[in-house]
Amino acid sequence: MLELLQELSLLPGVSGREDLVRERIAREVAPYAQCRTDPSGNLIAYKKGAQTGAKTVLFSAHMDEVGFIVTYIEESGLLRFAAVGGIDTRVVVGKSVLVGDSGLYGVIGTKAIHMQSPGERGKAPSMDDLYIDIGASSKEEAEKAVHLGDRAKFASSFEPFGKGMIKGPALDDRAGCAVLIELLKEDLPYDIVCAFTVQEETSCLGGRTAAFGVNPDIGVILEATTASDIAGVEPGKQVCQVGRGPVLSFMDRGTIYDFDLYCQALAWAGEAGIPCQTKAAVAGGNESRAVQSAAGGAKVLGLSLPCRYLHSPSCVLQMEDIENDLALVRLLAQRLPE
Amino acid sequence: MNTTQLLLELSALTGVSGREGPAAQRLKELLTPYGKVKTSPLGSIYATVREPKEGGAHVLLAAHMDEIGLVVTYIEENGFLRVAPVGGVDRRVITASPVTIHTENGPVKGVVTSIPPHLQKGDETDLPRVEDVFVDIGCDGAEAARRVCLGDRATIDAQPRELLGGLVSGKALDNRASCACVLKALELLQGEPLPCGLTVAFTTQEETGGVGAKTVAHLVNPTHAVALDVSFGHTPDAPRHKCGVLEGGPMIGIAPILDYRLSRKLEEIAKGENIPFQLEVMNGSTGTDADSIAGTGCGIKTALISIPERYMHSPIEVLSPRDVDHTAQLLAAFLKEVR
Repeated sequence: MLELLQELSLLPGVSGREDLVRERIAREVAPYAQCRTDPSGNLIAYKKGAQTGAKTVLFSAHMDEVGFIVTYIEESGLLRFAAVGGIDTRVVVGKSVLVGDSGLYGVIGTKAIHMQSPGERGKAPSMDDLYIDIGASSKEEAEKAVHLGDRAKFASSFEPFGKGMIKGPALDDRAGCAVLIELLKEDLPYDIVCAFTVQEETSCLGGRTAAFGVNPDIGVILEATTASDIAGVEPGKQVCQVGRGPVLSFMDRGTIYDFDLYCQALAWAGEAGIPCQTKAAVAGGNESRAVQSAAGGAKVLGLSLPCRYLHSPSCVLQMEDIENDLALVRLLAQRLPE
Repeated sequence: MNTTQLLLELSALTGVSGREGPAAQRLKELLTPYGKVKTSPLGSIYATVREPKEGGAHVLLAAHMDEIGLVVTYIEENGFLRVAPVGGVDRRVITASPVTIHTENGPVKGVVTSIPPHLQKGDETDLPRVEDVFVDIGCDGAEAARRVCLGDRATIDAQPRELLGGLVSGKALDNRASCACVLKALELLQGEPLPCGLTVAFTTQEETGGVGAKTVAHLVNPTHAVALDVSFGHTPDAPRHKCGVLEGGPMIGIAPILDYRLSRKLEEIAKGENIPFQLEVMNGSTGTDADSIAGTGCGIKTALISIPERYMHSPIEVLSPRDVDHTAQLLAAFLKEVR
């Protein structure tokens, strides 16, 4: 799974341009499930189990990642851009990006510290004042390599980190995708449906259309959520912690989750000895709301991987959490359709 | 030696001020073909490549090899590291940056913490001070203390890369690009007679005040010196009158602390040789090794040549190999004229 996760982490898939990620996932799961791509670009994989259960259960994980979109090319050849998805303006300066599906290298810099006033030194510049420098010396030169609307993703490496952790770009939510891919490769007692969705970071469009197409009784949303278990944050505000297993949600800023499902999942995890934790804040949001409210509605369960520095070039995850996430997802796939 | 390749190689070397070892070691290898390389007590390396004649001119070319970075100051019980800046670290570029801590036992990967937006106090553009961030190395306190030592230096990870149009991007091009200029100039001068003695030095601790250059200048005791550094390449958010431009050629410094005649001489030679150049006028000292060299001993006539660079003191500094080549050509032509 680690090798596949590395590959997925490094593929470009900023919202609306998830094609390369979808193609890679489709190639991986095609031997194990019947796949279709819906008009929104979601990959829907129908997995046959030993039998058809009483309930249709949809597992979803989004393929897209936060990034940037090229909005204008200056006469100087510099690229103006906007954020796609929620990017903290403080993490942008000094980073490098890969533009377009070909991965053209560019950098985001500002004037040197020596020329900044004391006030400027303590403030992150607005995204509107920044640009991507690809080294082009004119608009014409830039236009040969870049098209307006091209997306850019953070350029950073995927590598092992600390004690049993990994660090890399786009682990929100390629890690969730990797878990679903593993699930699809296994023999299961019941049929399930998996959706690898688009545009979660911008509108949750993919979750909505995928759920409409599948019309499930139950939706299980695999996500990555902010772990603020870092120095300087008091325990009551950490939301969740890496290394303590997948995070179950009762409520966030987008969704009130089905309380019975939430309690059931906690109980099953406890019986099976799978470490898991509860999201200890009403914060963040994901495509659960979109899945919950598609067509006539579905009960939803939110299951997230605790991830530090979400939406930055350096997402940090604990490998053990991913394994426990898979264990819990497997258990849910075995029991929810009953 | 291909200039782009040389820049990419030198950018990747590690050498935060006071711990320049790995950079010094490689530069020593590159310098060895041109003369016997010595190491000063403060770690600068230098080689006399043309012996000075009794009473004749003796030129020192000086380029600092250290780079800015972070230093580990404390290990928290939960394994997070506290750090302080070494040199002028830009608060804008540190948040959520991947870093490498360079320890005696090899590299340790880390990430500079960023407090999630919903937990931030103040408005969302307030940047933390370097002293207020932590480096996460993914370990508990005991393991962190085994892996990292107080005083270890860290650098922000950056893969040196070639950009469109042949520009080069990476960390520490300030000032490895000048080290490249010196090496390129020596290559151009191979087998050429010179009217002056010549010593070249790669100095330490420029980013923290310039003790490396000051002490090397004392040891070499030259009659003239040319300090090489990078300076500001214009970007749209910077005042145009305080910047040069990329690909505009070497920036010849003019400042009270610099020797006026040497500056003019460089300008004349650039004109005569058809080497593109730009003038950079400063109103006092220069913030480079030139300042400490000029005040060494009874004073040394010193010039400054800078390579225009965008995004100085970031992991994604950008400059042009063509400016490096033009600077090397200017140095070579100048050295043939110093008497």
